[in-house]
Amino acid sequence: MKQKIWPILLIAILLFIPLGFIQNQINYETVADNLQTNLVLMPGEAGDMVLAGFKGIAADLLWINVENYWHRGEHFKMIPLFYMVTLLQPHWILAWSLGGWHMAYNVPAGVKNIQGKYYWYQQGIQFLKKGVSYNSSRYDLYFETGWTYYNKGEDYSNAVKYLKQAVIYPGPDYVKDVLAHAYEKDGHINQAIKEWKKLLHTDFKGVAKRMIYDLNTRGWATP
Amino acid sequence: MKKTWILAWNTVRESFRKKTTYIIILFALIMIAASEFFAFLSAQEQTKMIMDTSFAVIEFFGFLLAMFGSITAVSSEIEKRTIYTLLTKPITRTNFILGKYLGMFFILLINFVIMTIFFLLLIHFKKIPINIAIFKTLFLIFMELLVIASISLALATFTSDAFNIIASCFLYIIGHLTSYGRQVIEMTKNIVIKGLADMMYTILPNYQNFSIRDKVVVGIPVPWQYVLIVTGYGIMYIVIALLIGIYFFRTREI
Repeated sequence: MKQKIWPILLIAILLFIPLGFIQNQINYETVADNLQTNLVLMPGEAGDMVLAGFKGIAADLLWINVENYWHRGEHFKMIPLFYMVTLLQPHWILAWSLGGWHMAYNVPAGVKNIQGKYYWYQQGIQFLKKGVSYNSSRYDLYFETGWTYYNKGEDYSNAVKYLKQAVIYPGPDYVKDVLAHAYEKDGHINQAIKEWKKLLHTDFKGVAKRMIYDLNTRGWATP
Repeated sequence: MKKTWILAWNTVRESFRKKTTYIIILFALIMIAASEFFAFLSAQEQTKMIMDTSFAVIEFFGFLLAMFGSITAVSSEIEKRTIYTLLTKPITRTNFILGKYLGMFFILLINFVIMTIFFLLLIHFKKIPINIAIFKTLFLIFMELLVIASISLALATFTSDAFNIIASCFLYIIGHLTSYGRQVIEMTKNIVIKGLADMMYTILPNYQNFSIRDKVVVGIPVPWQYVLIVTGYGIMYIVIALLIGIYFFRTREI
């Protein structure tokens, strides 16, 4: 007697229903765990890689070009590549921090006029801020933005704003060190002392003691 | 069950008798070793690039092996006419498909273990810390390869080799883009189109589910819960593909 085989196909088709539910659960988890990826299409070899699901490799290929331009001193050619790499892998911290650093420090070094230098400094800051928006639960880019404001722009109030965010997340002790300096430079001596006190039980103990002493006696500590 | 195991074992032996398997593994090992070329980069950049390249190589060469292995597992039996001898013995067509798939599972596992050991040795010598996230990524790549093998095997039961290769490659690309398609579906206003698109979204394999390597290399934690659900998705898809394969193989005139 010939066996009926259509139930096999029916079961296969019906199994797509629970499969759909599982996919919905995966979609939910993807959003909840920050694992979603945005559609990125670009021309050339990098685009082919993206289509085949190899975004990381595409970003790496572009990054090798960044390295080449950097070593040849062609800083301007690096800029579009930074945007492309961060578009492909927005959670790659190094791409944001290095891009921001090049824009705020190296590109202005090659520009003669003051407006040009300021323009590129601002571009670096904007780039870092964009990076922060993608990586808001890590200290790294808050610190880079705060540091750029502090060191390059001497804009201490904005530096404090970002460094205060950076210390919320787990990170190295030097983040608190820079925040303490920024507080002092911004005129918040008491806040600076408070921040240095937090460093008394770390490797920064020696510096912290000296800074607290100087701030209490002279009212300033950072040269 | 014993018949299925015998068929599986024969599939593994047959695959290793062919040189293609060795060539694919050798190429993959060369490609993983080639990540040494990134020595001119900083340590942080190098780590990312070695991981990116190795994961991509393991997946891509695994894909080739899964696709070609599954296609030839069925077609070579038909071409060499050994299928007639097999099916005259008390081996059912269901046994045949399950045995072939089990064989593919072991071929992929052996290949995967070789590549993984090589990759782990490489990162160990490069002093890159080996963490659980690496194993989660590798596990999901393996699950993806099993899904690919099941689909290629199912297609092999009712299509020609050439069509199967094209379809498997097409599904591989589309499977990595379906999650983007979801974003487009959500913007669609027309209910009919939305319904059809939703159906396609469910039917087509979503390989992007398995792709966590881009996240892992940049330090984004992937929870076990996610890995577990995606594993469930993979198993479910494999069952569906095998059922379809069994159905078409049983209706096929041989």
